[in-house]
Amino acid sequence: MRFWFVLLLVGLVGSQVWVSAFREDDEFAEFEDFEDEEGGTASASASHDRPAEQQKAAPADAKPVTKEVEDEDEEDTIVEEEDDNEFEHFHDEEEFEGFDTERVVNVEKADEKEVPKITITKVPLHLRTNWDSFYMEMLMLAGLAVYFINFFTGKSKNQRIANAWFSTHRQLLEDNFTLVGDDGKMEVETPGLIKDSEHMYTLWCSGRLCCEGMLVELKLLKRQDMVAVIGQFLRPSMDQVQIRVDMTRDDMDSFVFCVATKKSGLRLAKEMQDLSLYCPERKTGEKFGVPNNMCLMSEMGEVSSTLLDSRVSSLLSKYQDMIEFIHFSDQYSGPKQTEDSTLVKLPEVKRVLIFCFNIPLIKNHAMQESLDQMLPLMHLVFYLMDKVKRLRLSKEGKQKADKNRSRVEEAFLKTTHAARAEAAAARREEKRRQEKERIMQEEDPEKQRKWEEKDQKRQMKKKAPKMKQLKVKAL
Amino acid sequence: MIGTSNHHADPRRADRERRYKAPPVNSQVNPGDDMTPDYTNILGMIFSMCGLMMRLKWCAWVALYCSCISFANSKVNDDTKQILSSFMLSISAVVMSYLQNPQPMTPPWSSVFG
Repeated sequence: MRFWFVLLLVGLVGSQVWVSAFREDDEFAEFEDFEDEEGGTASASASHDRPAEQQKAAPADAKPVTKEVEDEDEEDTIVEEEDDNEFEHFHDEEEFEGFDTERVVNVEKADEKEVPKITITKVPLHLRTNWDSFYMEMLMLAGLAVYFINFFTGKSKNQRIANAWFSTHRQLLEDNFTLVGDDGKMEVETPGLIKDSEHMYTLWCSGRLCCEGMLVELKLLKRQDMVAVIGQFLRPSMDQVQIRVDMTRDDMDSFVFCVATKKSGLRLAKEMQDLSLYCPERKTGEKFGVPNNMCLMSEMGEVSSTLLDSRVSSLLSKYQDMIEFIHFSDQYSGPKQTEDSTLVKLPEVKRVLIFCFNIPLIKNHAMQESLDQMLPLMHLVFYLMDKVKRLRLSKEGKQKADKNRSRVEEAFLKTTHAARAEAAAARREEKRRQEKERIMQEEDPEKQRKWEEKDQKRQMKKKAPKMKQLKVKAL
Repeated sequence: MIGTSNHHADPRRADRERRYKAPPVNSQVNPGDDMTPDYTNILGMIFSMCGLMMRLKWCAWVALYCSCISFANSKVNDDTKQILSSFMLSISAVVMSYLQNPQPMTPPWSSVFG
């Protein structure tokens, strides 16, 4: 991480130095330019002056001539003014070929000479540049500095929250699992939380009855990213702990069950494959003591009544702000696959219990307290784990569950039937085309003819059964 | 009653221990993934190119910001080369645009209002 920062700093400083060096060079250049410009302008003005003098001198000579011309012209114009329309033909150049034109040109020249020329000296743009005009660059660099300060503070805050969570729950986890904190390497090098990114920490625990393992994911806010911090003001969200328990096959009966807040219930029902297939209906769980802000999605009523006993429902209502969702499923295959990916077989399913809790962080100093508040929820996880292990469906329930599963499988096969047939046909066609190409490449007309005949026969054969049927019908 | 006594008994089983398997890193995009680093990376690339090709200073700066966001959101085991290259590209866009034309930046809105 430090390496990056150093690299970035070097880059930034380098660019700054470059720019400033260039600017300094340029400043001298500017002065040179300026001198040049001055010289230029001076010479220009001198050259401008000279014509002016000439002009001044010239009119003295030229005046008598021009005056005469003017007089004549004035007369002309007066005449024109007097009889505007009648003497319009005087203007007709065809009438007075080569008569008036010379004089008019002369007059215009004289006019031009009399008007003093305004020369606007061009001030080059970079004469006006000083450090003040680089305000946008200053802003950009300041923004970058603020971004990186925020990056380091946010990162360390996330780290602190994660560590505090781990230290709070460590004892409880060690009481329940033989392995707490595994990094997946041959030798456990860093027991404890694994950093996935600056806002994601994971913890793997294993070695407990009825489950294969438990994966805790701390999904903290992206405090290290200032854009996300600003987004936080617009759409506030909370730090979350997501706990996924992988159950062993025998320790969980087949059912799908979910209790969630209304908002995430809607999202889960849409996104999760198993929920959308087995229990798309969202109900209020008042009957089972589920608080009002939550909804219940369950495949079977008996599961809900068994799982949501008085103890669980009291915890649900007590910690309703902290519980985002609880999702049990024997058919868990993650979120729905995107539609364009054509599946030929059903995705692999796992038996999992997923819990998602919000971490209520009140203030920085109360972090420990708020994490202590979460301990009962971890107890709830273990309680429900044992409860699911003991839960066995009744005969009817089991039948219903099996029926649901076979229904889903059938529907899946039906939807993929067309796709599979299509794929097979495409393969056949491809094979035929390749064969044809191969034959055509061989420069043997006899062979080609034979192949074509064979191909035609094959085509006929394909159509033949239909013909027969028609014949039978006709008879 | 049985349940509670069970609950208090030691639930640990060493023989059930499973090692952690890191989720497979595949190129396939999972719907639940956070795509911010990828998007900002691409955006940064586009802006750097605009900055380099069209001499737009603000584009180069935006590219630099994009690569910062991409860096902040990246995963620990993500490819560091990608982030490095994105930083290099955006920084070079900034440097080149100021080398070519050391005048201060004209923000995109100045051409609209001025």
